[in-house]
Amino acid sequence: MTATLLPPTGADTAPARPERAVGVRRRTPVGTVVTHLCLIIGVILSLFPFYWLIVMSTSTTGEIFGYPPKLVPGTHLLENLRNMLANVDLLSALGNTLIVSLSLAVLVMLFDSLAAFAFAKYSFPGSRVLFSILLVTFLLPGSLSLVPSFVLMSKLGWVGGLQALIIPGAANAFGIFLLRQFAAGAIPNELIESARIDGAGFFRTWWTVAIPMLRGGLAFLGIFTFITAWNDYVWPLIVLVNPQKQTLQVALSTLNSVYGTDYGQVMAGALVSVIPLIGIFLIGSRHFIANIAAGALKG
Amino acid sequence: MAISESARPGTATRPASFAEAPDGERRRRPLRSYWPQYVAVAPFYILFLVFGLFPVVFSVVLSFTQWDGISKLKFVGLAQYAFLVQDPRFWTSVANTLIIWVISTLPMLFLALLMAFILHQNIRGKGFYRVAFFIPNVTSLVAVAVVFSSVFSDSFGLINNALTALGAANIPWLSSDWGIKVTIAVMVIWRYTGYNAIIYLAGLQSVPTDLYEAARVDGASSTQIFFRITIPLLRPVILFTLITSTIGGLSLFTEPQVLFGTGASASSAGGPGDAGLTIVLYQYVQAFFNFDFGYASAIAWALFVLSAVVAFINFRLLRDRDDAMGDRKVPMFQRRRAAARARSRAAESDAVSASRQTREEVRS
Amino acid sequence: MSISSDPDLLVLWYWTRSINPNLLDQAARQIPDSTKRLRADVVGGNYDSKLRTSLAGGAYIPDIAGVNSNCSLYFPNEERFVDLNPLGGSELKSQFYDWKWQLGTTPKGRMCFWPMDTGPTGLYYRNDLFAKAGLPSDPDALGEAIKTWDGYLDVGTQLRKKLDIALDINAGAVFGCYLNSSEERYFDRQDRPIFSQSGSAVRKAWDLAVQAAKLGVTGNLQTSNDQNAGWSSGRVAGHLEAVWWGPILADTAPDTKGKWRLANQPVKPGNSGGSFLMVPTTSKDPQAAFDFIKWLTNAENQAKTFNTIQLFPSTPASFTGDTLKSDNSFYGGQEYQTFFRKAAEQVPITYVSPYENLCAPFGSELTNVETAGKDPNQAWDDAVAAVDQVLHKRGLV
Repeated sequence: MTATLLPPTGADTAPARPERAVGVRRRTPVGTVVTHLCLIIGVILSLFPFYWLIVMSTSTTGEIFGYPPKLVPGTHLLENLRNMLANVDLLSALGNTLIVSLSLAVLVMLFDSLAAFAFAKYSFPGSRVLFSILLVTFLLPGSLSLVPSFVLMSKLGWVGGLQALIIPGAANAFGIFLLRQFAAGAIPNELIESARIDGAGFFRTWWTVAIPMLRGGLAFLGIFTFITAWNDYVWPLIVLVNPQKQTLQVALSTLNSVYGTDYGQVMAGALVSVIPLIGIFLIGSRHFIANIAAGALKG
Repeated sequence: MAISESARPGTATRPASFAEAPDGERRRRPLRSYWPQYVAVAPFYILFLVFGLFPVVFSVVLSFTQWDGISKLKFVGLAQYAFLVQDPRFWTSVANTLIIWVISTLPMLFLALLMAFILHQNIRGKGFYRVAFFIPNVTSLVAVAVVFSSVFSDSFGLINNALTALGAANIPWLSSDWGIKVTIAVMVIWRYTGYNAIIYLAGLQSVPTDLYEAARVDGASSTQIFFRITIPLLRPVILFTLITSTIGGLSLFTEPQVLFGTGASASSAGGPGDAGLTIVLYQYVQAFFNFDFGYASAIAWALFVLSAVVAFINFRLLRDRDDAMGDRKVPMFQRRRAAARARSRAAESDAVSASRQTREEVRS
Repeated sequence: MSISSDPDLLVLWYWTRSINPNLLDQAARQIPDSTKRLRADVVGGNYDSKLRTSLAGGAYIPDIAGVNSNCSLYFPNEERFVDLNPLGGSELKSQFYDWKWQLGTTPKGRMCFWPMDTGPTGLYYRNDLFAKAGLPSDPDALGEAIKTWDGYLDVGTQLRKKLDIALDINAGAVFGCYLNSSEERYFDRQDRPIFSQSGSAVRKAWDLAVQAAKLGVTGNLQTSNDQNAGWSSGRVAGHLEAVWWGPILADTAPDTKGKWRLANQPVKPGNSGGSFLMVPTTSKDPQAAFDFIKWLTNAENQAKTFNTIQLFPSTPASFTGDTLKSDNSFYGGQEYQTFFRKAAEQVPITYVSPYENLCAPFGSELTNVETAGKDPNQAWDDAVAAVDQVLHKRGLV
């Protein structure tokens, strides 16, 4: 690597050290404390509503709306969960939601990374026009498509089926744009070039070069697609007409009633629906680690 | 659209397909030799043609009609648009949306960058921080609604109670014009800062760590590294978050809806004085409370035009800044291709030139 | 096109706590006096947008559906719903409260929206706080004191003066309650707007609500959080609302149990909320659908519904005999079922226009007056102008 780094005596000459040393070396203890203090304030602000969700899911409606508000968890969690389970077929709803969210996450990561890689690293006739179209669709208003989409699905015979939630969203402008921006900086052209010399075609290059380098972006896209699908509600509410085939949010929405809602129950349901998302984030975020392949190139 | 500018023939040299021969030869290549690229991009366009286009065309048609969702469509020509331009509530919603967008997006993206920068370093417990900062994005909206209302409520909210206890005057968070806008902006910042930080963090993974080491060896402070290395290197990703936050911000809906609830009546949408009435919330009220799908469609298309204009300005500003930096004459999207091989060291050289540029700016 | 192809299965859409689950269970096995079974699907979220999307798409429409108190929204499309009179409905008319029956009858006189539960209104109030303020705290005595709206404002003013608490949450509540007890509303029966005529009911309701806000009778509580805290903390001593609000209050403010009472609303009671059942023309067997509805809403079953989920019957006969049970402990032993039965007898007949939802600006301008101190006359003019503009656009003026 011959790039001029800030001082010419940069990384090339510096001996490899354990990563930790980089951050610690120059930071004064006071600076570290201040940083952590700021971070902890941020954590408290971030977690406060989640904590309150736990408090509410362990309380009765009366405790939730009592005044002054109760800030410590109550003792009604099991009761709330039991009531919720009596009204919602949780297992089947969880299963359906998992099918939809996982399928969407996988399909979106697959299709979007293929398209993003093609747009970012290859020029082919019409590529710019196609990409412009993609960005324009990104701006299109989406909120009015309920009726025509429903008509379309009923013509296809998909109303009530989970495919109505999966197939239309299997590739999206958001992910393609995101990964393209990542690919722009993350994939060195030399690697593609050398893959070509090795005789790799487009798809092999995508699999062996692009995918490893896009790990961070892909992990984000996968997590985000999963979460969006998991929480999606408006369209599933319209298109899922079979009570045996409901997603979690649609099933949970039935707990609200104009004639009085048991908020303890609603919050217990909300808590149950949020926990798997934290799990998915924990799994996915392990991929936000230093780009191994990029490091290898440097060596 | 800004992008179409880069598609305009002749504005810039058409870069060679990366893995292929130079321009002249490429033109002679048969189209079918590009089949892998076409196959790669095809799923999105096929799905859009099948599932996306019909609803879009339908909503264009709707905007020229009066329709309650059940009766026969009644064509009214441009009447919906004519009403739109002189509808004060619509313009209120446009102003609200833009104000909330500005006061939420800028602090949010800056905080997110800072957060990503700190979390990218080797500090203790960063795994925990990462999860903690992402949790607002997954916290259930029903809970968020109750919590924010409990915190910000005028008479019984936690903040105002604390202010009373301290002997300060209460702030009408949920009934005054600025109180409402600030509360909504706080909600947006709360929900999306961690989310954007994660995008930046993912983007930072591709930044070679030796670059940071080098900077530290050079004696650069964290602030210098943040502004001279992190930000320039993340430019494509920042552009992405800027565009998505623009689109997200202009179609803001969930937060005001959750805060004031449109469940009970259309009159409460957006809160007192319509201060929290955003464009999409207004559209929602028209569609699902007034059952005026024609007018709702017209509002949706007005929003489309507004988003396109703002997105265009975004691209424009970024491109102009590139020009100002001297070494970047080609618009954003072409620059990368045009610079093809030189860009392979993209990270390093960009950062260096950018930081030099910054230094020069500082000196002058 | 119906939602299910099984000829012996009728599909019903409803929302949580709007129909007695025991009766639905029974009908799921077999609808009484019929060979059909019922599948009842609970629909969450925005019920109307789901129903409308199905109707608009002409597909997957339920055979029977619940409709909320906004049933008049469907009047312009009444041809999509079965007239239940020829199916045997007209013979049952006398068994229902007439005002409820009229609410479900379309302008063309077709019975498309069959009465389910009702929402007669009254004043819920904190008997202990009234006593503390030296105000009449006995239901009859208070009812006498607030026989007129002036009396109501007077009592509210004293509450404010003596205990610095509000009688109701906000001006909108008073506005809505006044209109709900009025024969005349925003539009006449030909859907012509009458709110801007001098002395209109809307204007009277407006003036009353503005007055209540100005005197501090209402508490300027606009979010549900503030409102709930208001009732549980005792900073709001009452609320004008329908019978179905009682259980909600009992859930929200359980600590206030036994302290609440009910007094007659000034002048006369009204109706707020209540729901209906309808049969879309696509229903696979409208007669069977109606037979189910008839069974579900007979006096005996409505009494059972009241006993299970506290929905107030639309059939006066439900109150005869001793089937109806009610737990009066939240109201310190006051017979709340009797209270609302008497109220239900006095609810006036009125016409709710399908276009009332376009009149939302009155509500929001009233809020402006209460929260921001906007000049009431200016606010009224702005509301009228805003509504006129929309009505003009919709071709209604």
